[in-house]
Amino acid sequence: MIEIGLGHYLTLSAIIFCIGIVGIFLNRRNVIIILMSIELILLSVNINLVSFSIFLQDLVGQIFTMFILTVAAAEAAVGLAIIVIYYKNKGSINVEQISSLKG
Amino acid sequence: MTAHSLFFYFFSTMAVFSAIMVTISRNTVYSVFFLILVFVSISTLFIMIGAEFLGMIMLIVYVGAVAVLFLFVVMMLNVTRQPIKFSKKKGIINNISVGLVVGIIIFLELIIAVGGWKYKDAFVPLSSIDPYLNISNTHALGNVLYTDYIHLFQISGMILLVAMIGAITLTFSRRENIKRQSYFKQIQRHKESSISLVEVESEKGVKIDD
Amino acid sequence: MEYAIVLLPLISSIISGFFGKKIGDKYCLLLASTLVGISAILSLIIFYKVLTEDYFVNSLFFNWISSGNFNVNWSIYIDPLTSVMLVVVTLISTIIHFYSIGYMSHDPHKPRFIAYLSLFTFAMLTLVTADNFLQLFFGWEGVGLCSYLLIGFWYKKPSANAAAIKAFLVNRVGDFGFAIGIFLIFFFYGTVNYDEVFQKTPLLIQKEIIFLGIEFNLITLVCLLLFIGAMGKSAQIFLHTWLPDAMEGPTPVSALIHAATMVTAGVFLVIRCSPIFEYSQIALNVVTVVGMTTAFFAATIALVQNDIKKIVAYSTCSQLGYMFLAAGIGAYNVAIFHLFTHAFFKALLFLGSGCVIHSFNEQQDIRSMGGVWKKIPYTYALMIIGTLALTGFPLLSGYYSKDAIIEFAYLKGNTIGYYGAFVGIFTALLTSVYSWRLIFKTFHGKYNNKESNLNSIKESPLIMLMPSCLLAIGAIFAGLAFKEIFIGSNGSEFWGSSILFLNAIQHNHPPFWFVSITPVIVILAIPISYYLFVENEKILKYFIEKNQFLYNFLLRKWYFDELYNFIFVEPIKRIGLFFWKKGDINTIDRYGPDGLSKFIKNISDKAVHFQSGHLYHYAFVMLVGLSILLTYLILY
Repeated sequence: MIEIGLGHYLTLSAIIFCIGIVGIFLNRRNVIIILMSIELILLSVNINLVSFSIFLQDLVGQIFTMFILTVAAAEAAVGLAIIVIYYKNKGSINVEQISSLKG
Repeated sequence: MTAHSLFFYFFSTMAVFSAIMVTISRNTVYSVFFLILVFVSISTLFIMIGAEFLGMIMLIVYVGAVAVLFLFVVMMLNVTRQPIKFSKKKGIINNISVGLVVGIIIFLELIIAVGGWKYKDAFVPLSSIDPYLNISNTHALGNVLYTDYIHLFQISGMILLVAMIGAITLTFSRRENIKRQSYFKQIQRHKESSISLVEVESEKGVKIDD
Repeated sequence: MEYAIVLLPLISSIISGFFGKKIGDKYCLLLASTLVGISAILSLIIFYKVLTEDYFVNSLFFNWISSGNFNVNWSIYIDPLTSVMLVVVTLISTIIHFYSIGYMSHDPHKPRFIAYLSLFTFAMLTLVTADNFLQLFFGWEGVGLCSYLLIGFWYKKPSANAAAIKAFLVNRVGDFGFAIGIFLIFFFYGTVNYDEVFQKTPLLIQKEIIFLGIEFNLITLVCLLLFIGAMGKSAQIFLHTWLPDAMEGPTPVSALIHAATMVTAGVFLVIRCSPIFEYSQIALNVVTVVGMTTAFFAATIALVQNDIKKIVAYSTCSQLGYMFLAAGIGAYNVAIFHLFTHAFFKALLFLGSGCVIHSFNEQQDIRSMGGVWKKIPYTYALMIIGTLALTGFPLLSGYYSKDAIIEFAYLKGNTIGYYGAFVGIFTALLTSVYSWRLIFKTFHGKYNNKESNLNSIKESPLIMLMPSCLLAIGAIFAGLAFKEIFIGSNGSEFWGSSILFLNAIQHNHPPFWFVSITPVIVILAIPISYYLFVENEKILKYFIEKNQFLYNFLLRKWYFDELYNFIFVEPIKRIGLFFWKKGDINTIDRYGPDGLSKFIKNISDKAVHFQSGHLYHYAFVMLVGLSILLTYLILY
């Protein structure tokens, strides 16, 4: 317990991952929460990669983390743009009202 | 070592607590703030572990750009005014309980999957540079990034470019009731107003100025 | 030439059936009648040849089935028995063809009618010219089919449809027994050709087989089964219910099929199989008893019927009983002779009834007729001739054949023979009574018709009377002319090997007092019935009121229809309804197509809730799938 090893970091990553996933379908408010939960998931993946990189003495993990960072930023930007447009068209971004795929 | 572990527990608890608050807080702006808190604590963890470049980058990019972007959108769309509705189903089996159960199951499975894996011996490090070779983390990253992973680097630049163009395309709207001027149009000459073809009789000539 | 006899009716049927509309009604009818007429002339030539030169041929048409031991040919087999039947069938058929030109003149479907008539003729000819049981069965079924088509000719009438189905079904019961008989023959004899079967029969007299758990003598069983088929086709008791209802068809149909040809197919079968029947005394006794019972029973019913055609139908039934009575006591040649003469006078009676109906504008109830014998004299004369022949008035044809039956029954000597003779005499009395009742109620007495005026009763056209005259000539003279040949002293020379007589034909005669009973009764019946039905009808009314039960019993045909309805029809309808409602709809449909489609619809109605449109539901389902996959990967 005192000695912090790889497992602790992996556990932390798993916890944040699960919180992110649960946050996707447990929110009843708006879509922005979903995007934030996705950011949490990506964050947990980052933690995983960096901890493996440090513990395996291999720089590939950190390189890959940088790319994931890039992509996460790009995706957040485009996702928010979509939300803005959706809000302009439909007037609300309450998740319970976004159900035009209903079949 | 105890300081290490103490810091680790402190920051990780804060991260977990903030992550939970992201999902369940009532005010959306508070959710964004807690997201910033998560990023900050994870970034300190990175710095602690020895990947300081990445920690700083995370602060700059995630907190400085992404979270601020979230805040912009939250403010712009007035989502703070949205009412919260809790789960409609009463009783034991409602959304929250099912979601929590599934989340816990996934967490346990991740633990089991990783826990049963013997890691270290099977790997051959790809770019094994001894991190204690007296160069900073940034230097080491730079050594590898611009040589071995140059293609991925360029492509990630393209991705950013495309994301920017996409975001602009989606949200760009011209306001109709603004006076603008387009000097291209102002200087332009059209064929109909500048050239005219005239059938010239021989030895008669054409009058230009009228 | 033999091919032409059998094939000409087929050709005429095909032409009328398929091209009738194109060549027009008149030409179609004339063509068909001419073709069948040619067939009749050819069969007369054949008969003459058989008579004079002992003409015998078995010409192969084509080889039908040849599989292992089972060889069946399609062939035309001419021997004395066949030649007599050929004459009967083709002659009567030709006359009916010409008659129906006049009778069906108002009908819009003449080509179809003629096509069916010719088809029937073809099937009957195939039946009589067969040299094996399979071709016989083909012809058997063919005449059954044509009977169905012709009875239900006016298919818009529901009663005609019902009658057609009834005829077919009751016939089918008989055919079932017949088919089992043929199966047994093939199983034990190894062949279905007549020659081989008849040769092998003496060797198999003692053979016992176990059929449905009971031990039978093979020959007896075979004969009984064949006789069941004959009972169905010839409307003997128990399988007779279709014959009166078959009068729903047009009158020419009744004349051709239900008087002269189809119903005689049963008699023909028994006589053709006389080599088998002769070896089983039990079967012969059964035939005799059934025959005399039918004769008696049908005559009693005919006493009280009111429809002119039904009276003649029951009369047919009764006369067929006589024929089987003759066959059963071993006098096959007498049975054929009675068949021969009966064809003439019964067809004449039917055609005459047709003329009467035509004159009365489609009225068939004799209670609505009466007092017209001066207005339609030719029809009256024809009917009188027919009735005289039927009742066995001396010197007409019926006298020779019917009295021969009674004589031979008496000569047989055993109880069944005496009993048969007694029933025969009593039935002859009944026959005269109901026949004269028909004549007197139709032509004498008061005019009872409420619909038409007396002045509108006109004679039938010549085209209908001429064929009937031909039949009248036959009815008068056929008996006298052919008596010696068929049942006379050189009878066995004529029949040759076509009929087997184990005991030689007897030529001695019963005592004179016995022979004269029947003619005396028959002659006396005329004035008695005149008195009862024309002069003093009150005696009969009084009698009927006193014996209401007996009258109803006879009027309702001995309640046979009600009995069959109760025993067979209602339970089968209930079983059918049960199978339909419970079996088909509830079980097969419910678990089959309907069940499956409802089930699939239910599932998809429930599955539609997955598509809620909410993103987080989709994400949740993905997550659940992911966790299941993880569990699977971890555990295995």
